[in-house]
Amino acid sequence: MSWKRMAAIMAVFYAVVGILPLFVGDMRFVMHILIMCLIWAVVASCWDVIMGFAGIFSFGQVAFFVAGAYCSAMLAYHLHIPPVWTILIAGCFTGVLGVLVGLPCLKLAGPYVALVTFGVHMTLTPLLRGKIGIAMGSGGATGLLTIPPIQLFGWTFSSEHLVPFFYLTFAVTIICSAIILIIIKSFWGTAFLALKDSEEFATSLGVNAFKYKLMVFAITSFITGVIGAFYGHYVGMLSTRMLNLDLFCTLMVMLVVGGIGQFPGAILGAFITVTVNELLAPLGMYRPLIMGALVAALVLLLPEGVIGLIRSIGSMWRQNDPQTIPSS
Amino acid sequence: MLKASHITKKFGQLVAVNDLSFHVEKGEIYGIAGPNGAGKSTLFNLITGNYPYEGKIEFDGKDISGFPPHRIAKAGIARTFQIPHIFPSLTVEETVGVGSRFGAPGGLDRKHVREVLRFVGLDSERTTPTGHLNLLGKKNLMIGAALATKPRMLMLDEPMAGSNSKEIMSLMDLIRRINVELGVTIIIIEHFMKVLAELTKNLLIIESGKMVCCDAPECVTSNPKVIECYLGEAYAECS
Ligand SMILES: Nc1ncnc2c1ncn2[C@@H]1O[C@H](COP(=O)(O)OP(=O)(O)OP(=O)(O)O)[C@@H](O)[C@H]1O
Ligand SMILES: [Mg+2]
Repeated sequence: MSWKRMAAIMAVFYAVVGILPLFVGDMRFVMHILIMCLIWAVVASCWDVIMGFAGIFSFGQVAFFVAGAYCSAMLAYHLHIPPVWTILIAGCFTGVLGVLVGLPCLKLAGPYVALVTFGVHMTLTPLLRGKIGIAMGSGGATGLLTIPPIQLFGWTFSSEHLVPFFYLTFAVTIICSAIILIIIKSFWGTAFLALKDSEEFATSLGVNAFKYKLMVFAITSFITGVIGAFYGHYVGMLSTRMLNLDLFCTLMVMLVVGGIGQFPGAILGAFITVTVNELLAPLGMYRPLIMGALVAALVLLLPEGVIGLIRSIGSMWRQNDPQTIPSS
Repeated sequence: MLKASHITKKFGQLVAVNDLSFHVEKGEIYGIAGPNGAGKSTLFNLITGNYPYEGKIEFDGKDISGFPPHRIAKAGIARTFQIPHIFPSLTVEETVGVGSRFGAPGGLDRKHVREVLRFVGLDSERTTPTGHLNLLGKKNLMIGAALATKPRMLMLDEPMAGSNSKEIMSLMDLIRRINVELGVTIIIIEHFMKVLAELTKNLLIIESGKMVCCDAPECVTSNPKVIECYLGEAYAECS
């Protein structure tokens, strides 16, 4: 996809999302879902960059999200640093963490990278709940319950007033999406794709595999950490429950629905998945079952996700266009 | 231009390249041949830094042993692969652009990319996804991407494999033009003796990682040791 087409899809989509509060602004439940959609859109996009574009099977995405959330919350809560700064510090922290996780993964084949990165995910729960975590101020098993809200230019953004918070999230998500688009379409993105397709060929043409692989780890974990931190200040409380498998699976669903390596599909995938997940809430314990069945059906029917669907509808439409049918 | 001294590579018990020394002159086309599994491709992989090895390789008087592959590319050595490697996610022009952006001394040079595309005959396929090219197209593209790095030496690993005689003629013509018009030194691994005899000035024959002989092609083909390693002892005795 050309970068113009990607930017166009994103612009139309975000324009629609941006005016939604005019209609649903007084429905707290809907506004909350929209904010969560925006947040997960960023996380899913980052996962798409590292997995879909760079072809690195990193399963540490939720771990970076939670690490960023905890880092920022602890700094703001215990040291009283303004959240605007702690969010950026948390991003740098997870960025460095990403590089540290990435280093041992450089020489490993795909499935082993998945194991190592998921191992990081697994260690986070005992770390945060255990003595080390409590000593650092993670709140142990209870978690953190009173995380200060974001203050910007004298305004307080919290979950009390959802419309202003929505627009703050909206701005952050657009900035993150634009950064991701620029990265994908720059020569960095080309290097990621080349290394994914054939590392041997790419390095023989001068691509530094070490540098670009670490870079993709650093960038995606930085952005994920920032948005995780942002999330923490929004909901105001954190616990290690986020590290349970269901969130991880939902994130994977977003990517599958959107289409892996089909950015900006991941953004659409996040919106669809979060919304459907909320709509299915009345089903209670049957929700994961329906979700699972939906995913299986999607993978079989739409291997390229909604973006693939949009593309095939587009080409069908063009075929039916009388102007392009050659006169015979 | 390229000087290899006593290079040895072992994969566990197997000695794939065994104490090999040779010298490639600037501007020549240098041939390498030998039976299957002789260690020819491994030799290329050693030169381009894909594996560690014993011995020393100098390029233009500079010791390049131990360099990682991307630094070898930047130093001016480009290569193609025996099995065509492509980037299915990229178009033809983007693929050549990768060589230019990451491998050429001055970074991306769009004008040069266009020249290279014309040179290898892919100008009309600029926006084609690389996966849609046929075998010859893929080979030309691999050569094009390699040329985009502005190399001083190009190493071709069995470029003719799987091609019919017409394609072989066109590839031979391309290789000659790279050598003459662009002034690039070439090392070529090939099984077709006829191709090697026509293109190369010097021919290195290896078997089981060891040098059998190294000479002008016409002397090599009449060397009994070469006939023996290719066609078996019985044939060597008869002739
Ligand atoms: N990465 C590797 N690990 C272990 N053994 C290897 C490796 N690469 C090559 N070999 C072995 O080294 C020997 C030489 O292989 P190589 O590919 O260099 O042969 P070749 O001369 O290119 O043969 P062909 O004409 O079939 O291409 C073979 O026995 C092969 O099995
Ligand atoms: Mg070979």
